[in-house]
Amino acid sequence: MDDRLRETLSAMMDDEADELSVRRLLSHPDQHQVQEQWRRWQQIRDVMHPGPASSGRVDAHGLDVIAGVREALDGAALDRASAAASDAPAPARHRWRWSAAALVMLSLGVGFGAGAGWESGDDPVVQDVALKGLDQEQWAQMNRYLLEHAQHNSVGAGRGSMGYARLVSVAGHAY
Amino acid sequence: MPYPLLMPCRSRATLATLMLTLLCLALPVSARAEGARTAAEWLARLGPALNTTSYRGVFVYARGDQVQSMQIAHRFRDGMVEERLVMQDGGAAEIVRRGADVVCVLPDQGRVRLDQVVPSGPFAEAVNRSFMPGDRWYDTRLMGHDRVAGHKAVRITLAARDRYRYSHELWLESDTGLLVKSQVQDADGRVLEHFQFTSLTLTDDFPEDAFTLPGKGRETRRMPTDGTNAVPGPAAAPGESSPGATTRMDDWRLGWRPDGFEPAATPPSARQHAVAYSDGLASFSVFVEPARARDMPEGVSRIGATTVFGRVRDSQDHRYRITVVGEIPPEAARRIAEAVTMRGPGGS
Repeated sequence: MDDRLRETLSAMMDDEADELSVRRLLSHPDQHQVQEQWRRWQQIRDVMHPGPASSGRVDAHGLDVIAGVREALDGAALDRASAAASDAPAPARHRWRWSAAALVMLSLGVGFGAGAGWESGDDPVVQDVALKGLDQEQWAQMNRYLLEHAQHNSVGAGRGSMGYARLVSVAGHAY
Repeated sequence: MPYPLLMPCRSRATLATLMLTLLCLALPVSARAEGARTAAEWLARLGPALNTTSYRGVFVYARGDQVQSMQIAHRFRDGMVEERLVMQDGGAAEIVRRGADVVCVLPDQGRVRLDQVVPSGPFAEAVNRSFMPGDRWYDTRLMGHDRVAGHKAVRITLAARDRYRYSHELWLESDTGLLVKSQVQDADGRVLEHFQFTSLTLTDDFPEDAFTLPGKGRETRRMPTDGTNAVPGPAAAPGESSPGATTRMDDWRLGWRPDGFEPAATPPSARQHAVAYSDGLASFSVFVEPARARDMPEGVSRIGATTVFGRVRDSQDHRYRITVVGEIPPEAARRIAEAVTMRGPGGS
């Protein structure tokens, strides 16, 4: 596990575990090492945040984890179903309880692999474009759209640097 | 006076207790601690704070399985924003901004200077206002205190009330209101993008060359970000090869957009034709150009929270490519793209 990854983990330690760490973990080629690291990480977390597990926080040991995550999943699905049945707006608070712990265990244990379900189409109406299939000119076109959108965001809508961060991220990815 | 904090640490157990005490102090507390300040008041500070706070730091930005670390310096001086954004790993992308003048140094393209896009008068007001009724489009909640990059921050969740926008979670630095962390989530609770400072210094003190362009790279061309260089009407010649020189069509209109999205950016051309819309949190841009043979395929591309939806449409003898780019769900982008109609001589 490289220093940068450790640094990221370290930077995340005093915060809640989050998607960023999850993504980095998932992109690591040695998944066994990742699980070991995750276990150590979780132990440290247990020391730092003692007491009963908060909602969505799960233990990294054994099958109970997956069961717990499934339970959380089912619970969220039920919540959504009941909300839909009562024709009320979706209860927002349930969305926020997804902890990185749950996501990591989903990824490692239940097969929500890196990238899976990420850019694949879950909307049958909209056809997906595989970014990796774009040639250089098409990438340039994509970058141009993102650049201009970033410009609209930053200057027009006063959104600061976020739009550029998005752009630079893509530029770094593409080349 | 909290007694344990003053005790010398004689044993590991005492040290652990001390650490835990400190940690507990840093844990999120009830929103009541914020006094009268509401989520709406915090959000109202967000926009100005993004521009008028001076700071430098490093933030990580993740979307999909990509993680980028970026260094940022941001100064607000004499009413003008100066900003420099440098990618820390991979590539050499860099963006330097002085006011509305933005130069982007991309590894493959040399420098690209962006033409100005200004918010038009009445629209600017709409943008400022848009956060206030945010409750109409987002279920907004103040979730209490947190710590990000060593700074105290308030955490605010904004859950989308319809399927045309994503849910957001924002952390704002307590003193300045600066956005120090954010997440965008889809309807299933998946985090699509994550932005977070890992180090942050609030300061006005910058080196002289903090905002000057690097010597490397050459300025290759100006990139139009608006309709000023566009030849209006379907007579515009398609087939140009340079991706930076595409003709922008100006003679279209948007027949539908999700509720709450107001015009946010218009090109400085006379037509006052909005090209970007925002609901105060999310935004999308619409591009209409003559179709070219080597355009990106039709359909949707997703990079984290950003959707790029393209479709080609025939209007009499001409083919147009309509592209919607924004931090909105693919279904919303598709509906927006389909609501674009051509007008004028070639319109249908």
